[in-house]
Amino acid sequence: MMELIRLTKAYKGVPAVRDVFLIVREDEYLTLLGPSGSGKTTLLRLLSGLEKPDAGQIHLNGEDVTYRPPHLRGLGIVQQNYALFPHMSVEDNVAFGLRYRLIDPVTDEGEVKRRVAETLELVGLTGFEARMVGQISGGQKQRVSLARTLVTRPKICLLDEPLGALDANLRERMTVELRKIRETLGVTFLHVTGNETEALAMGDRMVVLDKGSIVQADRPDVIFSMPSDVRVARFVNTYNVLEGAVRDGEFQSAGQAMTLPEYARGSEAGFYAIRQDAVEINAAGTVPGPGRTGLQATYIASEFLGSRFAYIFRMPNGGVFEVERHLSHSDPVTYKGGEACSLSWNLSDALVFDPSGAALETTVFKGAA
Amino acid sequence: MDGAAVDTRLASAAPSRDGSGFFRRHGHLLLLAPGVIWMVLFLIVPLAMMVYVSFWTQTTFAIKPDLTLKSWATFFASETYFGALLRTLRIWLTVLLLTFLFGYPTALYIGQFVRNKTVQTILLVACVIPFWTSFLIRVLAWRPMLGKEGAINIVLQGLGIIDHPIEVLLFTELSVIIGMVQIYVVFMVGPVAFMLARIDDSLFEAARDLGASPMTIFRKITFPLSLPGVVVGAIFVSVMVLGEFATASALSGRKVNLLGNIIVTQVGSLKWAFAAVIGVVLTVVMATVITALLRVVNLRREL
Repeated sequence: MMELIRLTKAYKGVPAVRDVFLIVREDEYLTLLGPSGSGKTTLLRLLSGLEKPDAGQIHLNGEDVTYRPPHLRGLGIVQQNYALFPHMSVEDNVAFGLRYRLIDPVTDEGEVKRRVAETLELVGLTGFEARMVGQISGGQKQRVSLARTLVTRPKICLLDEPLGALDANLRERMTVELRKIRETLGVTFLHVTGNETEALAMGDRMVVLDKGSIVQADRPDVIFSMPSDVRVARFVNTYNVLEGAVRDGEFQSAGQAMTLPEYARGSEAGFYAIRQDAVEINAAGTVPGPGRTGLQATYIASEFLGSRFAYIFRMPNGGVFEVERHLSHSDPVTYKGGEACSLSWNLSDALVFDPSGAALETTVFKGAA
Repeated sequence: MDGAAVDTRLASAAPSRDGSGFFRRHGHLLLLAPGVIWMVLFLIVPLAMMVYVSFWTQTTFAIKPDLTLKSWATFFASETYFGALLRTLRIWLTVLLLTFLFGYPTALYIGQFVRNKTVQTILLVACVIPFWTSFLIRVLAWRPMLGKEGAINIVLQGLGIIDHPIEVLLFTELSVIIGMVQIYVVFMVGPVAFMLARIDDSLFEAARDLGASPMTIFRKITFPLSLPGVVVGAIFVSVMVLGEFATASALSGRKVNLLGNIIVTQVGSLKWAFAAVIGVVLTVVMATVITALLRVVNLRREL
């Protein structure tokens, strides 16, 4: 329904968005993950019309809207800082778009009131109509901001880090509620975030952005288990990524040699990634069994994360290697600081990327496991 | 709540430095005392005195503390004096309106269209440049500008736009208004520009995104949010214009008499009782104007 074609934008010569091609579908929850400075907010502002691109096109339902001003686009943006009008009550804030939009404003006050009440109910703020914006909490402001956009029934609702300013508890609740609200309305949500957990949990589809370009766009589970690029593996934040090169048929990194999985043998490899929860910790010197490989590392510290433990190791070259162990699978083990350990994993769990960072072709076929 | 608990504990645990319980409990009143004493001595007492004196009996060369309504009766019965009140109000309203009409767009430009903070500051300072010379020079400079053989008339005649010099330019109510607007417009620009510059850009973006046209955004967002600035500016301008006398006497050739001018003449001829009457009237007018302006917005909430 919305197509971005080779969209490009630079600020003072520094490219913020480069050659972005993306199709936003009807009735989907699309998350856009990128580290800060990856151009995700710029992309959102281009879509909403608050910024003009240097090159490329934006098509909305087949129409070219690249240079159409925001108030004629029919999209809604929920800004990071909520941007509520401080001199108005909650009700007037939400009613703003209905009353004052240039195209097709709602002139019947009864109708405005009815729709505002309906939307406030949807976001769980019934009874807050008369409150001033200064009298409500951060989480409530967020909901008002969302309601203000949703009440106008935008074709696409753009959310700029909507959960960024909320505390952990509230964030978790809003995660569920945002999905529920979206499903009720059937409006496409485009949710920009720097938090990989949020992007994975909320999106029907997920786009990973780096340095202004799209690295991968796919279902979150596919992105999680089959990152197409070593940068994606890094953003997802659950992989140990080792840099190195193939020598004598083995991957050499940190002064150690690891066996390459079947599919990667004979190809040029530059990165080797293994999921943190796929690694087993053994006493130093343990030789990995058949179909497994591993490396030696020094234990530094562990971190208790509620349902799981993270063990942090140092590799001989100084790099950090993390191992995660779920308490439901095994009891926590205590290691001594500075203790040498042997880490091993199944070859089939390893991902290999070529020196440019792209995943090796065959990786694609092993995902389902 | 935790914070409060900690605070009390600290407060009670701290050894009392003041010694006596009275000072510990009422110490903060001591901080208030200098200000209160100052205000009572130099504001409340003189005000009360002025009201009191306005009822004294005035003879040609003396004033006696025998209470009478005579001065008050003279003020409201006399065409000259009551007329001066009406003229003061009329000129005040005109100047206020004009400072708003000239000041607001200027402030809008500085506060909204100039994005660079440094340039904003430079422009605001530029507005104050006339204040680098004395008040009297600023006012008197209008004479060679507006006079019968002044700059404006010479230029207009030179261009052949007019045959005879325009005489209403100087020594009329118009010249007083021109002079006052020029002097006081900056007091409107400052507060408004300040309020406008404080508005977060994301509010305008949100409004645009919600479908509002630039004009609607101005009416519903920009103007209401700048209103506290307008009110502060209006208070500045009102207080100064209502008490004005110098501009009026310098640019009207003493033809336009405001309440301020009458006070000056009355005090000059030692008519203290009558001057006090006008003083009281002026104070009441100013208090009413300020109260009314403060009703427009809740400044305490906005600033």
